[in-house]
Amino acid sequence: MSDETPARVVVADDDADIRALVAIAVRRAGIKLVADVATGDAALTAIREHQPDMVILDVSMPGMTGLEVTREIRADSTLAGIRVFLLSAGVTEAAMQAGMDAGADEYLIKPFSPRELATRISDALAAWSAE
Amino acid sequence: MKLGELTRRVFSFREPSPLTKQSATVALFLVALVLLIVVPELKFQSTSLVFAGTAGILVATVLAILCTFVTSITHLAILIPIIDLLSIGMFRTGAGDSGVLFGALLILPVVWLASENGRRWIVVAAIGTSIALLMPYIFEGEAPGTASEWLRGIFTPIVFAVAGAIINELSSQSRAQLVSIRRLAEEREVMLRGAVDYTERLRENEEALRAADRLTRSVLDAVTEQSVMGSDVTGLIDVWNPGAERMLGLAPNEVQGKRYVSEFHISTELQQRSKELNYPPGETVLNPGFSALVESARLGRPEVRHWSYVRSDGSVISVEVAVTRRVDETGATVGYIFVATDVTQALEVSRLKDEFVGLISHELRTPLSSILGYLELMSDDDENPLSEEQLQYLGVAERNAHRLLRLVGDLLFTAQVGSSSFTLDTTSVDVAPVVKASLESAEPNAAAAGVSLVVDVGNDPIIVRGDPQRLGQACDNLISNAIKFTPRGGVVTVSARATNSRVIVTVADTGMGIPAAELDQLFERFFRASTATRAAVPGVGLGLSITKAIVVAHEGELDVESEVGVGTSFIMRLPRETA
Repeated sequence: MSDETPARVVVADDDADIRALVAIAVRRAGIKLVADVATGDAALTAIREHQPDMVILDVSMPGMTGLEVTREIRADSTLAGIRVFLLSAGVTEAAMQAGMDAGADEYLIKPFSPRELATRISDALAAWSAE
Repeated sequence: MKLGELTRRVFSFREPSPLTKQSATVALFLVALVLLIVVPELKFQSTSLVFAGTAGILVATVLAILCTFVTSITHLAILIPIIDLLSIGMFRTGAGDSGVLFGALLILPVVWLASENGRRWIVVAAIGTSIALLMPYIFEGEAPGTASEWLRGIFTPIVFAVAGAIINELSSQSRAQLVSIRRLAEEREVMLRGAVDYTERLRENEEALRAADRLTRSVLDAVTEQSVMGSDVTGLIDVWNPGAERMLGLAPNEVQGKRYVSEFHISTELQQRSKELNYPPGETVLNPGFSALVESARLGRPEVRHWSYVRSDGSVISVEVAVTRRVDETGATVGYIFVATDVTQALEVSRLKDEFVGLISHELRTPLSSILGYLELMSDDDENPLSEEQLQYLGVAERNAHRLLRLVGDLLFTAQVGSSSFTLDTTSVDVAPVVKASLESAEPNAAAAGVSLVVDVGNDPIIVRGDPQRLGQACDNLISNAIKFTPRGGVVTVSARATNSRVIVTVADTGMGIPAAELDQLFERFFRASTATRAAVPGVGLGLSITKAIVVAHEGELDVESEVGVGTSFIMRLPRETA
């Protein structure tokens, strides 16, 4: 990734308000939102279409869950290298462990601070650039 | 005295009474008297002597009556035949020449005397007879004139004495035999009584055993919701109650003595347990895995464990099985008892509850995410900064949204505790910084409430084995409670110290206190003290139940001391981790 080309992200959450909130955090982190969708299936389609650098997925969505989408991404070699952020209202350790086991890079608990989300996205991209 | 007893005492021939013995003498004496009066040829020589003799017999008879009925004077009965002898002697003398006829009367008292115990009575009988026979000479004051007269007074008594000796001997033998027979009879009676008692005891024992068996059987039959299996030490089933029949679909006759307990288990579960116990699976060839099943009970520790049972139709049910040992009278293990409860439904309910709680938690957290997120965006908007007043309003909204969030968290945690799905992420924790961090985060609230926070924690590490987040949550709860319940100007003191085996964290306030009658309920879910509701202190009553659950999960104790109007102290005691 170069400094000139902003990173690209796909956001998926069945709650439109949360999608909008995540979109704001994404903008503040200086990356480009290429798609925001409401279902896991739509997310997977958008990911395959746009080949983003990062996806931010809600865990509980109608149809495919965020965990299933994550597993699909990890199982698809053409999608290798995509950073996956999971957003979830599931606060138990078991829920977090399930997210990490599915292959997520970050697991964020709702409610989240847009400020903190922007920081986490920036940090993750900076770490990625450094690799 | 009853009539029967009276008759037995007077007329018994086995043990003749003095009256019985005397009655023969009296009867024959009366015959003699009547003959003397009636037969003209028989003449009286001395009426007074006949009367005296008759009176003597009368006296002897009265004495016989007394000796028969007054037991304290029975020893005087021996006087009766002596009196009889002398009376017959007088009667015979009074009858003169005719008296010769009545000499035979003497035989009766002689027999009586001779039959008494002791040879001296033979001598007494002989002397008595001799006196009676020589009485005519005594009363006449002359010695017998001829040798035949002397012989009559001596020879007849000698004959009587010899006869008496024979009788005495026979009586003595008879008495000895009687004593022996009596002793045998008594022994037989004692033995018989013993046998009867023994039989009675046997019967009682048998009845008690039958009753115990009936009780056991009825208890087993009454347990229809649990399966109760009993086995010998190899696992061969010998007890199978209706609950087992209902749960596993097999009748007792299909199982008892034919099937093994382990046959109703899933072999992989038994193997897994064997692995956990580091125990070679299978103690006998016939029942692989049985040892793993009873390992704990075999060592004398009854155990309740989750297993799966395979029913006769092949379906599998989840069960909680309590295994205990069966012992004989010496305490040796002779088998095991397996009491199983079907928990399939309970597990399903628990799963649904977890699902429901998860769903509710998700549904409440998502709108809160929007509320808090957009509030933050508004307050962070550098391009269009808000006025101080607007920021204050936003602050109120944000504070309440966080309050709602905490409540959701508390509800979720409470549900996790209730369904036992709450786990600790344990490590070595220094309690001092945990307490200090809680105090620090409580500082703004305390300042707003006008309550002073005092910390009494040393610099030395105070280590426990625990989950730092949960311990922090417990401290947060206790400190925020103390601040809430302490009026402006009050003090909340938090101390942490270590004893040899314990770490003690105390949160003490100078607040409104809790009535003593309510202290027992304080740690129950949704309980609120009357002082709290009266003072309109906000809250739902979950904080203390959660704190208690956290402390208990750390194998600690949470106690409270309180006095209304003075203050409350919560004391958290945790096991100290030693190096």
